[in-house]
Amino acid sequence: MHPLNWLIVVGWIGYVVIDGVRRAKGTNAIEGYFLANRSLPWWAVGLSVMATQLSAVTMIGTTGQGATDGLRFIQFYFGLPLAMVILGVTLVPFLHGARVYTAYEYLERRFDAKTRSLTAFLFLLSRGMSCGTIIAAPAVVFSAIFGWNMWWCVALIGVPTVLYTMIGGVQAVTWVDVKQMFLIVGALLAIVVTLLVQIPVSPTGALTVAGAVGRLRAYDFSFTLTNTYTFWSGMIGGTFLMLSYFGTDQSQVQRYLAARSVDEARSSLLMSAYWKIPLQALVLLIGVLVFTFYVFHRPPLLFNPAHERAVREAQPAAYGALESRYQAEISARDLAGRDLAAATSEADSRRAADRFRQRDAQTQAVRTEALALANQVTGQLSRDVNYVIPRFVLDHLPIGLAGLFIAAILAAAMNAIAAELNSLATASVVDFYRRWIRKEGSDAHFLAVSRAATGLWGLFACVVATFAANLGSLIEVVNRFGSFFYGSILGVFLLAMIPRARGTGAFVGLLAGMSAVAAVNFGAPSVSFLWHNVIGAVVVVIVGLGLSLFFKGGMGNGNGNGRRAVLSPAQTTEPRVAL
Amino acid sequence: MTEPSLETDSTRFRRTLVKVMTMQVAALLLLWWLQATFTS
Repeated sequence: MHPLNWLIVVGWIGYVVIDGVRRAKGTNAIEGYFLANRSLPWWAVGLSVMATQLSAVTMIGTTGQGATDGLRFIQFYFGLPLAMVILGVTLVPFLHGARVYTAYEYLERRFDAKTRSLTAFLFLLSRGMSCGTIIAAPAVVFSAIFGWNMWWCVALIGVPTVLYTMIGGVQAVTWVDVKQMFLIVGALLAIVVTLLVQIPVSPTGALTVAGAVGRLRAYDFSFTLTNTYTFWSGMIGGTFLMLSYFGTDQSQVQRYLAARSVDEARSSLLMSAYWKIPLQALVLLIGVLVFTFYVFHRPPLLFNPAHERAVREAQPAAYGALESRYQAEISARDLAGRDLAAATSEADSRRAADRFRQRDAQTQAVRTEALALANQVTGQLSRDVNYVIPRFVLDHLPIGLAGLFIAAILAAAMNAIAAELNSLATASVVDFYRRWIRKEGSDAHFLAVSRAATGLWGLFACVVATFAANLGSLIEVVNRFGSFFYGSILGVFLLAMIPRARGTGAFVGLLAGMSAVAAVNFGAPSVSFLWHNVIGAVVVVIVGLGLSLFFKGGMGNGNGNGRRAVLSPAQTTEPRVAL
Repeated sequence: MTEPSLETDSTRFRRTLVKVMTMQVAALLLLWWLQATFTS
């Protein structure tokens, strides 16, 4: 990469760390460290919520998915706006009004300590692991692209993030997120403009070429439990996933708990709902345009440079033969693409589209053979999709813009990791250390413990990252970790809003929900993970409520007081009980 | 004193809600248009 690009990347990382550390000023208690003294404006919280979701996985994996699979991934997010609206009128007022530090703390007030501890533990388990994969995603790609040792790549992403999160707390996380969001959106828009300029046909021609091979197919109305990306799985399974993610996952809940008021917390979520689908569509559209770009510019046979080198060294003759065939196929596809983009009459257009589809299928067939050869030589499943965008950025973007985009990938990774480290530390300190180990202590003591917890989680995530390299598709791995528990935890929070539900019912229901999801996962592995959230939540509510009603009066909440009343948003503003 | 404030909050929430849903419908229609126009 050109030195100017490196200067931009290093300059940005330096700026972010300095800015983040500067935010530590005035933070001398854990309410400031974890919740910014509940003083943040809605727009900053909203941008932070968006930034937390927009990880490097989105920048690399989703754009790559757009290039190879088109727009259909967008259906995954169809449930998000509805989920945000539901949360805005249900859980957000409860959680913000309760003046809790963590979502799980609320569950102890409503149910009992064991339900709180189990949900907090599940959060730590799933988020701790996923934090590692979020670092691993860009680190693996950087390692292959630049030929660096994996440890160095993990350190490049992990160390600055841990540093500013550990010192600055949620203030640093939020305000850095705000700045990084501007960088990320700016880089995405710049890449769209560059693509439109560099593609040698009109924008309409480019879309016609992409559409001919199904890259612009955003809707699939088939109802099947095995396909993750359909309208129905997005609307139903996606709504449950988003309800669970934004309503019960501490990495999200903590964002809006730091807002000034319930209204501002709600507005921040709606801001995210407002922009999520358009932003995700933009990310996928970049991938689609990169596909079109490579119709008219020679693409590499293998996008992963490490695999390309390995195959070229191990099987030079076989790879050479594939490259020759590939060269011939892409030349033919290029011509067919130009004919299609220039076709004027409908009949011409149809004929040209058929020819282009045929040529594209032949090109893909050669690539499939090359990928199989790479798998055979390296012994690793080739995730070539994750290298499409980085290769495009480094090979074709002008100097400066490439650095900007690499900085944006790092920024996206840092945002997601920082929010997770901050929330992991919060749950560890508030739900475990201060709940079970040391209930009383000075502000300075708890602040020091919180910083140490952030640092330890950062170290853990970096270690996981170095071993998570071969866990599979970057996008699905992250979501799959969560989907084992997400739906069931959502079920517990739904139970919390039902007055008749009791503590033991909720606890047993939670175990039943997770068992049901595990049974479906292992018994019917073809069922898409999006449906696990629905299954988990429904089982928890049915079992939890059934048990609560069956043992009415006989099931206490762990302290012998019987059922606790559901706290209304107004009631929850009472002074906090001692932890 | 509380009621007008609650009403303002709820009005603001409804207004934002309408904006959010309008944006979603517009985005979904645009995606539909892309699919209908360019997918052969």
